[in-house]
Amino acid sequence: MIKFNSVFKGYPGTKDILQNISFEIDSGELVFVTGSSGAGKSTLLKLISAIESPSAGEIIFDNQNLSDLRTGDMPYLRRKFGMIFQDHKLLFDRTCFENVALPLAINDTTSVDISRRVRAALNKVGLLEKEKLMPITLSGGEQQRLAIARAIVSRPAILIADEPTANLDKKYADEIMSIFYSFQQVGVTVIISSHEAPQSPIQFKEFYLMHGELVKPQDVSLLT
Amino acid sequence: MFHYLRNHIQAFFRAIIRVKSNWPSSIIMILVIGITLCLPATGFLLVENASKLSSKIEYEAEISIFLNKSISQDQIDFIRSALEQSPAVKKVNFEPKIKAWEKLQEKLKINSLDAGISENPLPDAFFVTLNTLDSNIVDSLYNDIKVLEGVKEVIIDSGWLKKLRSLLYLIKAGLLVLGALLAMVLTVVIGNTIRLQTLTHQKEIEVSRLIGATDSFILRPFIYTGIFYGIGGSFVTIGLLTIIIELFNRIAFKFESIFGGLIIFSNLTPSKYIFLAIFATALGILASYFSASRSIRTIKNID
Repeated sequence: MIKFNSVFKGYPGTKDILQNISFEIDSGELVFVTGSSGAGKSTLLKLISAIESPSAGEIIFDNQNLSDLRTGDMPYLRRKFGMIFQDHKLLFDRTCFENVALPLAINDTTSVDISRRVRAALNKVGLLEKEKLMPITLSGGEQQRLAIARAIVSRPAILIADEPTANLDKKYADEIMSIFYSFQQVGVTVIISSHEAPQSPIQFKEFYLMHGELVKPQDVSLLT
Repeated sequence: MFHYLRNHIQAFFRAIIRVKSNWPSSIIMILVIGITLCLPATGFLLVENASKLSSKIEYEAEISIFLNKSISQDQIDFIRSALEQSPAVKKVNFEPKIKAWEKLQEKLKINSLDAGISENPLPDAFFVTLNTLDSNIVDSLYNDIKVLEGVKEVIIDSGWLKKLRSLLYLIKAGLLVLGALLAMVLTVVIGNTIRLQTLTHQKEIEVSRLIGATDSFILRPFIYTGIFYGIGGSFVTIGLLTIIIELFNRIAFKFESIFGGLIIFSNLTPSKYIFLAIFATALGILASYFSASRSIRTIKNID
């Protein structure tokens, strides 16, 4: 599904943030991108989600080399991903409903469908009763769940979450992780960046980054 | 096609929400456009009315032909016949010197004895109304009449009208330049307002882009905002022009005794108002498109 071949990423005048990254992610997998701060986790997620393009190497998504895509095609590619950002990137001048509806509006969905699917997504993350509230009135955990609702509402094939539990206490973090696991269980590819891989009830893949290099690509089976 | 329309309907309503949520500055923007457009439009309106007035006066203007005192009846008949055969002549009115003298005496309330005048000082005269405004034809007619035997003097009453018409032409050209300059000013003002709006919606633009919005999706509401400004501005201009015409007509009414109801300001025709609305809307579209697309390109994704 996603394949990195010797990918480098850097900016002019700086050392490469990512060096010689190669891996493969299959459909329906759960992947943790781990490493300490500054290891390049967020940059890797941006490359996967086509927000950034590599300095060298190739990224293949569904047999399509992303460097062959025209700039105008990038937005359509991004619609295949559900992105959850560390700082949520919610719009505080819009209600919870309107925040979640945004990807559907972009994706040319009818208002009837928007209404139905937004409520289903809010229900999935337990925020249906707060649809008319402004995000600023929600707790940190609720804001993260709202961001998840926005990411899943367009039924993406891949969910990408950048340190989704970084600012949450354990109770909320467990809630959030269980939501991701439930999506992986129904066939969605889930890619999560985190300082370390959590105790997961299901099989996952871990990409450990250190100073921009992939140190330990491995399959990890835990628990069960 | 249906998807395309739906995209535009969505953008239309998003623009309405933005204009509504920011209504004080939207109203100010619409007023600025309306008043700015009103300046050349009022000038144009005045020139249009002055042109109409000048053509009306010219239509009623005459060529006055004064004859020699010793002219014979045969010569008078020949001149009349020559005038009546000219295609440029609409009406020929002969005024014998006796009648002219009587009219003058009556007007001045004198008689020849009181004035100490022993003989009629006025000549026989023709007053010719023309059916053309073409200065070449009028000049040619003037030259033809001047050489007729028995003709002493020919006066074209429309000379000052030519000057007025030239002046109006110059003013029209000046207004066109003024209009073009003000259109440029409006483009900059609308563009700057839209640019500020893109900055206000910067986070929304960044998030939309991250989750797959195309630039045209982001751009559309800003273009509709420009359209609303243009249409709103043109309505303000139309309203202001209507008030201005009403005021002018009230002032002109006070001078009715002098001009005899000759001066009545008329409003622009519906087609000119439609042109005005289209022009203002086009300005709104152009300004918002260039400003917003440039601004959106410069907004980078947030980290």
